[in-house]
Amino acid sequence: MSAPRPSTIFLAAITALVAVLLYSPLFVPIVSSFFTISHGNVDWSSPTLSTYVALAGNHEILAALRTTLIVGLCTVVLSVVSGTLLALYYHGRRFGRSYLQFIIFLPFLMPPIISGLALLIFFREIGLERSLLTVVIGHTVFVLAIVYRTVLMRLQSMSRTLVEASYDLGATGWQTFWRIILPNLSSAMVGGAILAFALSFDETMITILVTGTQSTLPVRLWAMMRLGFSPDINALVALILMFTVLLCVLAARFLIPRQMATERT
Amino acid sequence: MSRAGSTHSAEGRLSQLVTVLAFALPVIFVLVPLAIFLVYSFFGVDQGTIVYAPTLSNYVRFFTDPIFLPVFWNTIVLCVSVAVICILLAYPAAYFLTTLKGRWRYALLMLLLVPLLMSYVIKIYAIRSILGLNGFLNKALVALGILDQPSTLFVFNMNAILLTLSLLLIPFAILPIFLSLERIPQTLLRASDDLGASSLQTFLRITLPLSLPGVASAASFVFVLAIGDFLTPQMVGGISGFTFGRILYSQFGTAYNWPFGAALSVALAIVVICAILVGERFGRSRGTSV
Repeated sequence: MSAPRPSTIFLAAITALVAVLLYSPLFVPIVSSFFTISHGNVDWSSPTLSTYVALAGNHEILAALRTTLIVGLCTVVLSVVSGTLLALYYHGRRFGRSYLQFIIFLPFLMPPIISGLALLIFFREIGLERSLLTVVIGHTVFVLAIVYRTVLMRLQSMSRTLVEASYDLGATGWQTFWRIILPNLSSAMVGGAILAFALSFDETMITILVTGTQSTLPVRLWAMMRLGFSPDINALVALILMFTVLLCVLAARFLIPRQMATERT
Repeated sequence: MSRAGSTHSAEGRLSQLVTVLAFALPVIFVLVPLAIFLVYSFFGVDQGTIVYAPTLSNYVRFFTDPIFLPVFWNTIVLCVSVAVICILLAYPAAYFLTTLKGRWRYALLMLLLVPLLMSYVIKIYAIRSILGLNGFLNKALVALGILDQPSTLFVFNMNAILLTLSLLLIPFAILPIFLSLERIPQTLLRASDDLGASSLQTFLRITLPLSLPGVASAASFVFVLAIGDFLTPQMVGGISGFTFGRILYSQFGTAYNWPFGAALSVALAIVVICAILVGERFGRSRGTSV
């Protein structure tokens, strides 16, 4: 082995810098959840779990967390059902598909402020009071493109012969759907569901615009941020980060292996 | 699946329902709101109530009022700068990833992408505390002897917005650049090497041109995400860091002028659509349509 070339060292250094830049904002709240920080100096001498204890008593935050989970679950159910239906319907059909597909992708491509404001005016025009329902609709419209695309990609990589074999063996359309198509789509649907949940969990800009009196966690944090956070928020952040990493690992397990396998062929 | 409809009448009804839904859902929940929004931009406001009579006054105001066009332009410049910073940092990192072998390559890619899924609001808050007068950045610069005393250069102004947005959006630049670099066939690089090119020549004449589509997509991603953001400027911009997103947002809050806000959104949408089209146009590698 020869010594690494200067260019490699330079590249590695930039990569390390990028990693530090990306993780430093996450490092601050996590460290502060275990140690006290005053005037920018960390007191390493006395680790504490008191922030986590305080968090358990913060009802306002826990209520917001519950709201976020409810919104996330509703969004997942709605977006997976409609995303899968749309993918099944558009797959193999030509009529109007590219236009409809473009419409589905619009809320994802447009800045959230535009999608959010458009929905805000829409809800007002149809007389729908701002509530959790409007938040769920906003989130579903936003994440639908992701679920749709994930399921559609799996459908496209699925061999046509599976369905044909099923019909040749005398299965009805229903039987083919339940026994052949759906099982083949299940891991893409789960992966899409996890992505949808992760996006919904952190969605802030559309939510701020369409939410009523009950706010989700990011919106509550946003409101609290102007005044400064109490230390127990750091504990919450540390927990959310761990939870998010777990979700990422899960999503990767469901989505990556098959796609990489298909890319190689 | 095309045969599924004809076997039972229940199935037939279901497939009709699916057909209706497949057309109705996207139209009702995406197209109709956007259309209403566009129509709103031609309404006016009189003493806090919306006047439903067509007028061009919102657009006239946007182009003639001395406030809006400069802010609009400054915001575009800001977001282009964010895209440039992100690419300058993301390109070497993405290049480094492609020099790694197998498992390490994807593990490190994951590592650089995971921060994307972390709470946006919390990241803004943490970056604000890092940039602050008493923050880590000022402390580090003073400790390194670059500054004599903490600077207000990046506290509550446009610089703060620039740095914060760049930090938040780097991962969006890494992924497309990495994918375009990874797609370059190794045989091309080996051929260039065999023909006696130095590694710098190979990079400049093979790798860089072939990775430019990825750079274009990265720039368009970052630009669109940066220009639509109204949370970051609100949080770290202070009074001087006034961006278009903030003005737009304030039309639906304190200023309470929805039709004018809708007109500003149309201007924003036009810029975004242009950015996406440019990204699409140059984001496709020559010869392949992937």
